[in-house]
Amino acid sequence: MTLLKEKIFDIAISENMEEVVKSALKEIEQRSFPERKTEDWRYAKLGKILSKNYESDATDVNQVSEFLMEGLDANVVVLINGKFSNEFTKIEKQTGVTISSINEAVSNVEFKNHFNKLAERSQEIFTSINTAYNQGGVFIHVEKNVIVEKPIYMINVTSGNGMICNTRNLIVLEKFAEAKVIQGFYSTEGKENLNNSLTESFVKQNAKLNIEKIQNFSMSDRHICTEEIHQEKDSTATINTFMLSGGFIRNGLNIQVDGTNCYSEMNGLFLGTEEQYIDNHTKIEHIKSNCTSSELYKGILKDKSVGVFNGKVIVHKDAQVIEAYQQNNNVILSDEARMNTKPELEIFADDVKCSHGATTGQFDEEAVFYLQARGVSKTAAKEMLIGAFATEVLDKISIPEVRTYIEKSI
Amino acid sequence: MSQTILKVNNLQAEIDGKAILKGIDLEVKAGEIHAIMGPNGSGKSTLSSVLAGRDEYEVTGGTVDYLGMDLLDLDPEERAWEGLFLAFQYPVEIPGVSNINFLKTAMAERAKHKGLDPISAKDFLAMVKEKSALVELNDKLKNRSVNEGFSGGEKKRNEIFQMAMLEPKLSILDETDSGLDIDALRIVANGVNTLKTDQNATIVITHYQRLLDYIIPDFVHVLHNGKIIKTGDKSLALELEEKGYDWLIKDFA
Ligand SMILES: Nc1ncnc2c1ncn2[C@@H]1O[C@H](COP(=O)(O)OP(=O)(O)OP(=O)(O)O)[C@@H](O)[C@H]1O
Ligand SMILES: [Mg+2]
Repeated sequence: MTLLKEKIFDIAISENMEEVVKSALKEIEQRSFPERKTEDWRYAKLGKILSKNYESDATDVNQVSEFLMEGLDANVVVLINGKFSNEFTKIEKQTGVTISSINEAVSNVEFKNHFNKLAERSQEIFTSINTAYNQGGVFIHVEKNVIVEKPIYMINVTSGNGMICNTRNLIVLEKFAEAKVIQGFYSTEGKENLNNSLTESFVKQNAKLNIEKIQNFSMSDRHICTEEIHQEKDSTATINTFMLSGGFIRNGLNIQVDGTNCYSEMNGLFLGTEEQYIDNHTKIEHIKSNCTSSELYKGILKDKSVGVFNGKVIVHKDAQVIEAYQQNNNVILSDEARMNTKPELEIFADDVKCSHGATTGQFDEEAVFYLQARGVSKTAAKEMLIGAFATEVLDKISIPEVRTYIEKSI
Repeated sequence: MSQTILKVNNLQAEIDGKAILKGIDLEVKAGEIHAIMGPNGSGKSTLSSVLAGRDEYEVTGGTVDYLGMDLLDLDPEERAWEGLFLAFQYPVEIPGVSNINFLKTAMAERAKHKGLDPISAKDFLAMVKEKSALVELNDKLKNRSVNEGFSGGEKKRNEIFQMAMLEPKLSILDETDSGLDIDALRIVANGVNTLKTDQNATIVITHYQRLLDYIIPDFVHVLHNGKIIKTGDKSLALELEEKGYDWLIKDFA
């Protein structure tokens, strides 16, 4: 039994590098769980998550075909309750591309050189837990000048009741390398599972990383999902997050732009229903000059759902000619739904073009009436407007099959 | 005798507790064109919104019979399915909703309501082609989002294009002429006249006599302060053009 509140862990510690695990265990001792007064977790009600007795025994999953996307030709990597599944994983060999379980990668030099180098700077206790107790994950390494031919589709399946799983991934793109990664998070039957996932990504000079993330859990599942991304000069990193379902979703995206002439993009679309809690915390840190970052998050909240968007932009003193754009638009469809949005700008350079905008409102009643007056029923009119609202984010998806999957789900 | 399409009886409506329509009587028969004129703020758009079913306005009295139905009892979309059409004074822009696709949905819903088969894709496209030619609506505009980035005149032409597609029984054109140059005005008027039959009827709301040179009304009504204070034939419009409203309003007071 694992009980986070008491810091009781009945999970085998990670087979990863001993030193790293040891210090993570120490951090867990020293750190405490976020409380209501912890600014970054203000709106998150962690009580139920922390006081739940979790299991960590793997349950079997017989098939993963329901998570495959129609027409998608991809390298498929399957993780079941955080463990790498050799049975379902299907990778096409490509020279210069390594896709393996992190447990197999521990002796790999590149793995050792990069693992935990980004995450170790985090102050989050969930990150330390992930580092100490991850059961597995994926290591992707792409050599210089190599473009991964097919997208890498990581299917994370949570199954069972009250399972806790920590998944840990590491992506390293060497100079001029390119990869597209899809991270799908799903659950089969079962409830009240906690999936704590973390991915570190190194995007080196002129490399290009694209991550499409889909979160489609059951309504009682909880999910904490962290990205630590490091960009070198002339590189591009894009991460699109689609939050379709899940009781508690917390996304923490951290991008460190540590090179000139980089482009970074973070987009998200969330659809809150019932009592869902959907929290997006993004942080982009511009350390060097001549970079552009862009964020577009859109949310639709129904019922009693709660949304959070917190976008932090930090521009260091020596980072000149920076353009940072941030936009968060929300539509609230019920009196009881709530949205909390906050941009946070910390700008220490002078030549910076920064824009941020947030809107939260209802549907444009005039538009609904216009459509109705032409003979579109009210329900259909609202659906049309939801679709129209979402389109701007869907347009960011670089893989058509992913778009189709998401369109079907919303 | 021709069929009565619309019979408005002592219609009263308010918004936020403020009375706007203060007892309107109006009867429209098949084959007729009615013009409604009146100073700004007299309630012309309110009347058309109430007839189209905008629920922002509260109807506080009176009745509206539309083809034997209690119009006020129908949802806006039901009114549309039954052949009521409102060309908006200020058509809204709806980014992300395709101008053509939404019309297709509207027509499919109407067919379903009527228990008919939906129009085939081929027939629909042929119809789009024919009707857009009628109002000289550019191909590019048809395929864009509803009214998004359209000029004022293009929006008005798009309204008449949609009217042509929906073939309404009763059309209410709320200042479709404002903001149009003379060529556009002719195109729009030509569209309206082409669609005119002895089975349908049109209400044109306008400030300008010039539209009525093209769309010849059978009746001209003057609306003032929520009431129709005078009804005449097309010569009334000419008189108003010359003398303004003041003499009428004075008379009325
Ligand atoms: N949504 C609203 N909220 C408050 N008042 C309104 C609203 N809509 C209309 N009114 C008021 O009702 C009155 C009638 O307005 P309406 O738009 O019907 O006039 P109109 O005759 O169409 O004028 P115009 O010639 O300028 O188009 C005006 O005094 C207007 O301010
Ligand atoms: Mg008006």
